[in-house]
Amino acid sequence: TPHCATPSIPSRSLPARQPANVLEEARTRLHVSSVPESLPCREQEFQDIYSFVESKIIDGTGGCMYISGVPGTGKTATVHEVMRCLQHAADVDEIPPFHFIEINGMKMTDPHQAYVQILQKLTGQKATADHAAALLEKRFSNPAPRKETTVLLVDELDLLWTRKQNVMYNLFDWPTRRHARLVVLTIANTMDLPERIMINRVASRLGLTRMSFQPYSFKQLQQIIMSRLNKVKAFEEDALQLVSRKVAALSGDARRCLDICRRATEICEHSAAEPSATGLVGMSHVMEALNEMFSSAYVTAIKCASVQEQLFLRAVIAEFRRIGLEEATFQQVFVQQQALCRVEGLQPVSVSEGLAVCQRLGACRLLLLEPSRLGVLQRVRLNVSQDDVLFALKAD
Amino acid sequence: MTALLEHPGYEEQRLRSAAEKLPCRELQAGMLLSLMGQPQQYSYPSIFIYGHRASGKSHVMQVLLKELELPHATVSCVECVSVALLFEQVLLSFFGCDVASLLPRSPSLSDFVRIYRQQCSQTPAKQTRYIVMEKAELLRDTDANLLPALLRLQELVEDNVTVILLSEIVWDKFRPNTGCFEPLLLHFPDYSKAELQQILSQDRHPSYSAEFYSSYINILLGVFYSVCRDLRELRHLAALNFSKFCEPLAEGKVKETDTHKLWRNIEPHLKKAMQTVYLREVSSLQWEQMQQMEEKESGALRGLSAHTHVELPYYSKFLLIAAYLASYNPARTDKRFFLKHHGKIRKTNFLKKNEKTSNHLLGPKPFPLDRLLAIFYSVVDSRVAPTASIFSQISSLVTLQLLTQVSHDDQLDAPKYKCAVSMDFICAISRTVSFDIVKYLYDFL
Repeated sequence: TPHCATPSIPSRSLPARQPANVLEEARTRLHVSSVPESLPCREQEFQDIYSFVESKIIDGTGGCMYISGVPGTGKTATVHEVMRCLQHAADVDEIPPFHFIEINGMKMTDPHQAYVQILQKLTGQKATADHAAALLEKRFSNPAPRKETTVLLVDELDLLWTRKQNVMYNLFDWPTRRHARLVVLTIANTMDLPERIMINRVASRLGLTRMSFQPYSFKQLQQIIMSRLNKVKAFEEDALQLVSRKVAALSGDARRCLDICRRATEICEHSAAEPSATGLVGMSHVMEALNEMFSSAYVTAIKCASVQEQLFLRAVIAEFRRIGLEEATFQQVFVQQQALCRVEGLQPVSVSEGLAVCQRLGACRLLLLEPSRLGVLQRVRLNVSQDDVLFALKAD
Repeated sequence: MTALLEHPGYEEQRLRSAAEKLPCRELQAGMLLSLMGQPQQYSYPSIFIYGHRASGKSHVMQVLLKELELPHATVSCVECVSVALLFEQVLLSFFGCDVASLLPRSPSLSDFVRIYRQQCSQTPAKQTRYIVMEKAELLRDTDANLLPALLRLQELVEDNVTVILLSEIVWDKFRPNTGCFEPLLLHFPDYSKAELQQILSQDRHPSYSAEFYSSYINILLGVFYSVCRDLRELRHLAALNFSKFCEPLAEGKVKETDTHKLWRNIEPHLKKAMQTVYLREVSSLQWEQMQQMEEKESGALRGLSAHTHVELPYYSKFLLIAAYLASYNPARTDKRFFLKHHGKIRKTNFLKKNEKTSNHLLGPKPFPLDRLLAIFYSVVDSRVAPTASIFSQISSLVTLQLLTQVSHDDQLDAPKYKCAVSMDFICAISRTVSFDIVKYLYDFL
């Protein structure tokens, strides 16, 4: 292979199909990967990050910022948006030019790989982790006359945790050097991560420039979808409101919201043949999509289980009630199952059939089991609440 | 006698010769044959065969595969300490040795599947390939994904391959917690007495008649059947004792048909064999030599378990005695046994009912080092200085496995020990130092 081949994947023989109707158009617009030009409902956060980074670049100093928020609140997208705007500003010479590099903790096999990736993105050099750390150390601590500011985005910060925390320490220590001119933006999910996992000298270097992204409210979610759709009329007004209210109540995750909308358009497409269909995504479609994505599969699994499996679950609950604990051995449950079989007028099962039933339920994670080599002495626990089991068994 | 093994697709003569080698297993062999189907047909992906020791699992499989000349790989899971060996053996017997060398140094399952697929696309199977795994219970201790993968190997490698697992353990104790493809279960029941008689009677001595040998087997089974149904063990015993059985015949005292006299001659001998040979106290070779020497009564030789006498240093003996006393006496009785002026202890308080006889049944209890030394100083008459040699004797008793250390190895501070010798052994030891141990044992008060 050539030394510096650019990685590529085979190109398509046919170009990707253009969306043909309104629903397909809506689906492409609602896709999670199609990030819009401007992010609605994140203006304040955008402004804060922008001014922070801009001031550091103009002053030629360094600093850290910690950004937290639950998944799907637009942290990475906002930071990327900020960097795009700053890059544009640098291109038109409003601010001094700067480097932007990005690393992601989840894309690394080992936390120490962070050094290698930073060095490679900064200079194109390849080095081992130790050597790269030394080179970066030298680069950031020595003065250089025409050094540009470097903006480093560290996504999934919590995965860079090591026992001695030296990767995190270095990342936060470099910006404090006089000649470093390094701005570090770190992103993680939990707000109290610095206090929870970092030792004091690391947390203090991270500093107090923190920002937390709140989950979206239903109005914001609605606005996001509206701006995505951008006057493509594919959804009924009420349907959109239902999706955003449901998602906002549960998590406020914008990605989840978009997924549900896309699934609803698919359901709508399937039911388009019906006479009552209007071609718009209605309440019923959205309800169906929500049910698909939010309902637990456990209840369905219990409902669809075989007679003996349902009987075994009933025996488990009966045994738990009898001994007043949430755990019983298989042989205790089996005695109950035999009794239940007689009550139901079924042929009592043999021990190995009983074990097969038990282990099948364990493989579906309806039960939590010990290793099967313990035989009849293995302990059985329920992985679902007793109420769910009773509800599922009673429903039919 | 040879029941018919019938299946289309195989030569009749081969089936007949296979059936001759499988006495009393016609049913199971026939079942297996019908599961295997014709050679070019796909068989079930995995078959799990279970039954007691020496119930003919491997034998039936081997005879069928060899006689019918089906491509197969027999792998013993005991030998395959790493999966690499297992993969190597399978590839070796299916595709030859140059393919087995294609495996990387520490192959993963995916390496095996990749090489297998690559090879079987070059040489596709004309007949079902069989992988026989003996002692399959050891597969549970390997990587968690190996057993589930073997069960559906047919699907993974897209080849006409069947995995046959042989084990003495039921399938219920194999099933992985995450579920797997369920194999077909096939049980090999134990041989009945009549079947054992039939099988054992087959390997008769050429110089005696068949009836004579079968009457010998009958007597042998009459003695041993209640304690042993293992065909291999019985066959070994039959071979071992036959010369003794024939002795009166050779001397011309009785005729072949005089069963009662022969029985009278052999029966006490067999009873003795049960105590010695069957427990491997006397090795088979020694037993044969003993039969040669008539004057020497069999069993006169001291077996392995009689060699319990161990030469120990003087203080080691007392240390061992002290350890035995500490292990089998409750600590609260020490005052009564080892202190001279222990004051009055009421018999009623002293003897707790439930404790009275159980100490020797429950096994040794752990004791701290201090207690061992206290008892040691009390049972040794002379003054002993706690020198390094005393402590090194304690640790060498641990090395000799006469004591066991209960607490963790690196605990220097107050280690705990258990005494690991039997009553007979300690009595013998205490007799050599003329110490009456029974007087000091709480259980024999």
